[in-house]
Amino acid sequence: MSGRFVLALALGATVLAPLVAPTYHVLLMLPFMAYAVALLGLNLLFGYTGLVSFGHALFLGVGAYTGAFLTSVFNVRSMETILAAAAALGALVAAPVGALCVRYVKIYFGMLTLAFGMVFYTFVLKFYRLTGGDEGMPFLRPALVGRSLEDLPKTDYLVGPYYYYSLAVLVLATLVMWRIVRSPFGLCLKTIRDNPTKAETLGIGVARYRWCAFVISAVYAAVGGALLGPPTGNVDPTLAYWTQSGNIVFMTLLGGFASFFGPVLGAFVFIYLQDWVMSVVPFWRLIFGAILAAIVIVAPGGLAGFWVRRPPVEASSP
Amino acid sequence: MTAHVVNVVLSGVFHASILFLVSAGLQVVFGVQKIFNLACGSFYALGAYVGVSAVGWYLEAGGPPALFIAPLAVAGLAVGAVGVVVERGLLRFVYDRDETFQLLLTFAIVLMMEDAIRLTWGTSPRSTSGLYLTYGRVGVLGTTVPVYNLIVIGASLAIALLIGGLLTRTAFGRIIRASADNREMAEALGVDMRRLYATVFALGTALGTLGGALVIPATVAMSEMGIELIVEAFAVVVIGGLGSMRGALVGALVVGVLRSIAISVYPELEMLLIYLIVIAVLVLRPRGLFGGPRA
Amino acid sequence: MILRAEGLRKLYGQFCALDGVSLAISAGEFVSIIGPNGAGKSTLVNVLTGVLRPTAGTVTFRDRDVSGIGPARLARLGIARSFQLVQIFPDLTVLETLQAAVVSRLGHGTRLFASLAADRAVREGALEVAELFGLGPKRHVRARHLPQGDKKLLDVASAFALRPQIILLDEPTSGVSTADKTAIMETLVSASRRIGVQAIIQVEHDMDIVFGYSDRIIALHEGRVLADGPPATIEADRRIVDTVIGRRARAR
Repeated sequence: MSGRFVLALALGATVLAPLVAPTYHVLLMLPFMAYAVALLGLNLLFGYTGLVSFGHALFLGVGAYTGAFLTSVFNVRSMETILAAAAALGALVAAPVGALCVRYVKIYFGMLTLAFGMVFYTFVLKFYRLTGGDEGMPFLRPALVGRSLEDLPKTDYLVGPYYYYSLAVLVLATLVMWRIVRSPFGLCLKTIRDNPTKAETLGIGVARYRWCAFVISAVYAAVGGALLGPPTGNVDPTLAYWTQSGNIVFMTLLGGFASFFGPVLGAFVFIYLQDWVMSVVPFWRLIFGAILAAIVIVAPGGLAGFWVRRPPVEASSP
Repeated sequence: MTAHVVNVVLSGVFHASILFLVSAGLQVVFGVQKIFNLACGSFYALGAYVGVSAVGWYLEAGGPPALFIAPLAVAGLAVGAVGVVVERGLLRFVYDRDETFQLLLTFAIVLMMEDAIRLTWGTSPRSTSGLYLTYGRVGVLGTTVPVYNLIVIGASLAIALLIGGLLTRTAFGRIIRASADNREMAEALGVDMRRLYATVFALGTALGTLGGALVIPATVAMSEMGIELIVEAFAVVVIGGLGSMRGALVGALVVGVLRSIAISVYPELEMLLIYLIVIAVLVLRPRGLFGGPRA
Repeated sequence: MILRAEGLRKLYGQFCALDGVSLAISAGEFVSIIGPNGAGKSTLVNVLTGVLRPTAGTVTFRDRDVSGIGPARLARLGIARSFQLVQIFPDLTVLETLQAAVVSRLGHGTRLFASLAADRAVREGALEVAELFGLGPKRHVRARHLPQGDKKLLDVASAFALRPQIILLDEPTSGVSTADKTAIMETLVSASRRIGVQAIIQVEHDMDIVFGYSDRIIALHEGRVLADGPPATIEADRRIVDTVIGRRARAR
């Protein structure tokens, strides 16, 4: 019950934030919500299936570049079309990549995903005629639910319609993921995380489920990536660099991979803490590196681990 | 035409010698501690900056420029001692953890080192101006190459032989190989794991820092050089096979030379080609060209 | 005849773990496989359950060649197994573990957006098995927190939840106190009757259990079938008693 209360409070605060909070902090909510969507997906793989991808920035990149291409090359401005295309392309790329990656576990899975991530990164970096290279591509302002909104000043657009649009996408993504982890399919993923050998003898085809989880997580990351575009209005290859993959795993661990909302919390804390630290000292990596080291060594359950003292999975039935 | 080919190959081999040193550090640590050390690139960057500073002090102190390579190498090796601090201060706490957490801890080290370097040396690139051609150039098959490149290639080869000898012919090498094969067995036989791990990690770090120090006369030190090199070193060890020294040597040659060829023929391909090879190797031969038999 | 193995050979490099093993299991049988350590029992179980592909020979299940098709497909066809070293899902509860098996049996694993809690078929199937194995009161306990005996029971129960035609038990009573052994065996036999398991194959070291429950005993030695017959015949055979059963003979 208290969990629901906290959740309702958080949601209420998020809805009210643009009305009361300073614009600057409201703007920071946009990357937070985009990353939160991506992390819900990443954690289906990490927390629920037991696979840590070190190349998920690839899918952030796929989503963001999908939006950039559609808006600036094909002049498609509908955000719904962009998100649908990002999801579809994310799945399309993830299908073959996942089929290869899920044959391996642990460090080999991590390395293979990292290699695929770097293929994508080098591709967008080097084929600059197509992608603008390291300068990136413009992500033009998308129309939301059929309304162009071109006349609004940029900040009004972002803290107004776009803010609530992102929030709606995040809420929807959360609800869908909530269903997934509580479905029979989700239970099968947990068996694979806990003991793949045993899962296999129960007739659960481990590779197939891992592949499904991989593709779903890629779709989430691609949608999150597409949401990242409009606030900056530009998409560049650093979004797909391997350190970015490391950062999103970091966010997941920071919040707590063992809990459903842990990664969302992680994204929130990461974004705001990073902003605050950078305003105080220019060396945020030093401090974040130390935080990550501390989490790994003393609190692998992350922030959520302090709150709910229980191991990885929530019980599915009362 | 030949001159061009020779030029391309030699510059590839030069890059390969540096890559070999860093990858060898990665391999020895993975072999014994089973930790994939993402921070090996950061150690490489650290070595580069320390090398710049060491050479700077050396020249200021009036040392003859012709011998700059001595302080460079000494500094590169000495700063490897950082490895002991990192191992005792951080890594030793996670040996019994899942390898994901070990990997993330080394990622934390990458983040910290990047800023530690910026804090110490600032954000603008540093270089040892003008020392690169101290030893002049020499003609090789119709082209000329900096003598310094040949010295580094030679030094790297010598180090490869030295490590080979160390691993196969000395008591320490036998301990390393035994611990790599079976930790419990080695422990039962009375090997002091604490000391071994610290030593091995320091050795791995020193190889990385030396690589960074040696590359510096030919290039400039930048704070991003570490995170860029790690993905190349990663390609090397995957192609060669995780944990294998011969693999590091062959992998470094493959990556170094192919990259050099790609840059001269079709620059867009550069690392793309390398990663595609990495994927092919991981899919077809996950243990790499020289990895163990287990699939 | 529901399961038949013919001329099974399994080589590990130069080492021959199975050297021409043939056996047949009929409906209604309880068969024990015995033999000293290194006789090839584990390899045989792994080949029969599709984990290992035999170097030569075939395994047929209801006239279908199932050699090396992998444990997941075999489980869906109707051959389930439990493990010598207990295999559980540490962070799942007893109920969730059994639900997972039922989900797999009913093919509900493809239901991405359905609610597991609302899946009555799955829930009832799981609860039924939990009751059969006396795990009902502990259904919300995480597997990692169960006592050793219950972990073993859960491992076996999850195999039963698949409602298999054949169940292969790899030392179902190993690591369990002597007092609990009979209780486990009784639970097991009655559960298999209730669920309609057609044949039980077990690998077992405890000769009291072997002789107390088996319809037939297959004795393995150095990768070959040394004897295959009803308990009385096996016990009467000096050769087997000496090579395989040894200790029990002395104890008597």
